[in-house]
Amino acid sequence: MVGKGEAPAPRDPEEEEEEDTGGVVKLISAEGFEFVIDKKAAMVSNTLRNMLTSPGGFSETRQGEVRFPEISTHILEKICQYFYWSLHYSSGQETAEFPIEPEITLDLMMAANYLDT
Amino acid sequence: MSGGGPPRKRNFKIEAFKHRVELDPKYAERTWKVLEHAIHEIYNHNASGLSFEELYRSAYNMVLHKYGEKLYDGLQSTMTWRLKEISKSIETAQGGLFLEELNAKWMDHNKALQMIRDILMYMDRTYVPTAHRTPVHELGLNLWRDHIIHSPMIHSRLLDTLLDLIDRERMGEVINRGLMRSITKMLMDLGPAVYQDDFEKPFLEVSASFYSGESQEFIECCDCGNYLKKAERRLNEEMERVSHYLDAGSEAKITSVVEKEMIANHMHRLVDMENSGLVNMLVDDKYEDLGRMYALFRRVPDGLSRIRDVMTSYLRETGKQLVTDPERLKDPVEFVQRLLDEKDKHDKIISVAFGNDKTFQNALNSSFEFFINLNNRSPEFISLYVDDKLRKGLKGATEEDVEVILDKVMMLFRYLQEKDVFEKYYKQHLAKRLLSGKTVSDDAERSMIVKLKTECGYQFTSKLEGMFTDMKTSQDTMQDFYAKKSEELGDGPTLDVHILTTGSWPTQPSPPCNLPTEILTVCEKFRSYYLGTHNGRRLTWQTNMGTADIKATFGKGQKHELNVSTYQMCVLMLFNNADGLTYKDIERDTEIPASDLKRCLQSLACVKGKNVLRKEPMSKDISEDDTFYFNDKFTSKLVKVKIGTVVAQKESEPEKQETRQRVEEDRKPQIEAAIVRIMKSRRVLDHNSIVAEVTKQLQARFLPNPVVIKKRIESLIEREFLERDKVDRKLYRYLA
Repeated sequence: MVGKGEAPAPRDPEEEEEEDTGGVVKLISAEGFEFVIDKKAAMVSNTLRNMLTSPGGFSETRQGEVRFPEISTHILEKICQYFYWSLHYSSGQETAEFPIEPEITLDLMMAANYLDT
Repeated sequence: MSGGGPPRKRNFKIEAFKHRVELDPKYAERTWKVLEHAIHEIYNHNASGLSFEELYRSAYNMVLHKYGEKLYDGLQSTMTWRLKEISKSIETAQGGLFLEELNAKWMDHNKALQMIRDILMYMDRTYVPTAHRTPVHELGLNLWRDHIIHSPMIHSRLLDTLLDLIDRERMGEVINRGLMRSITKMLMDLGPAVYQDDFEKPFLEVSASFYSGESQEFIECCDCGNYLKKAERRLNEEMERVSHYLDAGSEAKITSVVEKEMIANHMHRLVDMENSGLVNMLVDDKYEDLGRMYALFRRVPDGLSRIRDVMTSYLRETGKQLVTDPERLKDPVEFVQRLLDEKDKHDKIISVAFGNDKTFQNALNSSFEFFINLNNRSPEFISLYVDDKLRKGLKGATEEDVEVILDKVMMLFRYLQEKDVFEKYYKQHLAKRLLSGKTVSDDAERSMIVKLKTECGYQFTSKLEGMFTDMKTSQDTMQDFYAKKSEELGDGPTLDVHILTTGSWPTQPSPPCNLPTEILTVCEKFRSYYLGTHNGRRLTWQTNMGTADIKATFGKGQKHELNVSTYQMCVLMLFNNADGLTYKDIERDTEIPASDLKRCLQSLACVKGKNVLRKEPMSKDISEDDTFYFNDKFTSKLVKVKIGTVVAQKESEPEKQETRQRVEEDRKPQIEAAIVRIMKSRRVLDHNSIVAEVTKQLQARFLPNPVVIKKRIESLIEREFLERDKVDRKLYRYLA
């Protein structure tokens, strides 16, 4: 997870093919912070996966960015961390527990439910 | 965050986001409007302006706020409305465009359904299972089925169009298979039941009536071979059709329809078709047609057994004609050759066309067994065939060829029920070959013996082998005789004696004829020599079996060496002292049995080119009043003249009877031995069981007649080997 507030180069919609796990995707929090993460990592969330691969050509699919008006920045950041942790965990490179601070647990759970993660 | 995450505490209850609950009563209505709009936009191909996240969030919130049911019902009614619209547009499509339109709309619907499912995923995941509703995707398919496929305006039109296209393809038109494939796939996607009820079942019915009509037409105008070709082509077409645009599950069904209509229903007519049916194919060696018939008929119940039955009865019929045709019986060698040719022919048919099917091989074997044994001269003829081959037929043939021929003969031999009769004849023929030195190859002779031995065991061939041994010892004895006695003998005629062990050889006791004195002296010398070296033996001369080489000088001084039988030699020697002799004179002086004498005179006087005697009156046959003269005018290009005896190679009727009788006699001790063997181990047995067991034990050699077995049992009771049970008269006891 890199570059808060950093604008990625506009992506050509034609690159967005179904099940294309290459490339990056921009996630935008309620406060407008942008997280650019690997598409592969974003696919950990089933909701994001559908969003990015749905056949119809929704705006997200074409633009490669998703706005979350109901998810605050620090939760989204935690979620992005989780995406990467999960990728590593499932490929066996990560064995440590994913740390969750008690004060954000509830919000995080809500977001997880929303993202089907 | 389910999945890969480490276990977290999940047992505390998560309250809904209370602070987010806007108590706006119109909230649900408003949100639904957004979604409804989106659904329409999706169907209108206008999704690019929509935000997935927003729609997903809307649906998410509706479900979260217990408006799941409203959402679901809304979706259902919106989709239904859209589908009704689509149905109208499909209905208006003209002619050939109908399927295209249907397919295009189906593609659209599928894509829209996918998108709708994606944005309503949260509902699919939480509301649908708890409320026991149909998942979105399935709901979409069901609605499509109910409102499009089952729409009264589309339903029958779709079926008719599909069936019409298939019919056109059957008639040779090229149709859009890709489109057909999409449509059938759609029906499958809607569920196997839809495919089966709305397409497959009527398709099979139509196909059945199509093929029923077509096969009727074909069978009226085609011969069997062509019909089968057409049927095969149709069958392949249907399988190809399935692979191109029908569900794989239909293959077995449609092929069974074709099989039933085109093959099973006409099976009997095809097989029995005049001038082109199975029998004609067999006669004309139509391997390709036969192979096709086999491949097609094996697909239908009783198909192969039908072929087999017809083939069997054909084989039996022709075989029966062959073996009972009096013309054929005149030439035993040709007769057997015909049998072998028949066997080869059908072996080839079975291997080329019938895939070496075991049941067909068995049918062939049983047919041969059936008809070969219809003619009780078969054993004799087979032996004569071997005789012919071993005398001359194998000249120039390689060892392998010989083996092949002998193997084939053995195959026929196996079919024989009366193997002992064969043995009897084989012994006679072998004896003649050995004694006259006519056998071509010792190896071939031995190979045949080995084959018989493997087939029937040591007992069967022991006497035959004894004959070979006798030949060898005789040779040694003669060498020894001449080594020791040559000075004593001077330059009288040379004698070559074969000493035959009694019992091993098929000798008929015949009174020795009067030998010329020159020969008699040598014979006596040999007799004293032989009895001097072997004590306690008895020598009997078999003058009916020997041969002689004699030198004769004719009128103009030309010299010939005559190769004749012993009898003929005796007759000719008489003419050294007389110019003319009557039949009576000759009979008196030689004491040759009348039938033999007639034959030998016939060959001396009546065969053109070999007539060293002259007969008065001139005629073909010998009568007892004839007079014979030395034929001074005899000429021949050859120095060595071989005068064969006019032998009936084939046995004459009385001889046949005699052989038959001897065979029957020989069987008696064998049957008795078998009975005793069985009773010795079983002690007590009833009559029928004995007959069955004896038949089983002896069937490798011959089929014993139950009546004969009964007689043997009675004879054994008389000789007190067995006794009848005192109570149950059907039971026999063995008396040790």
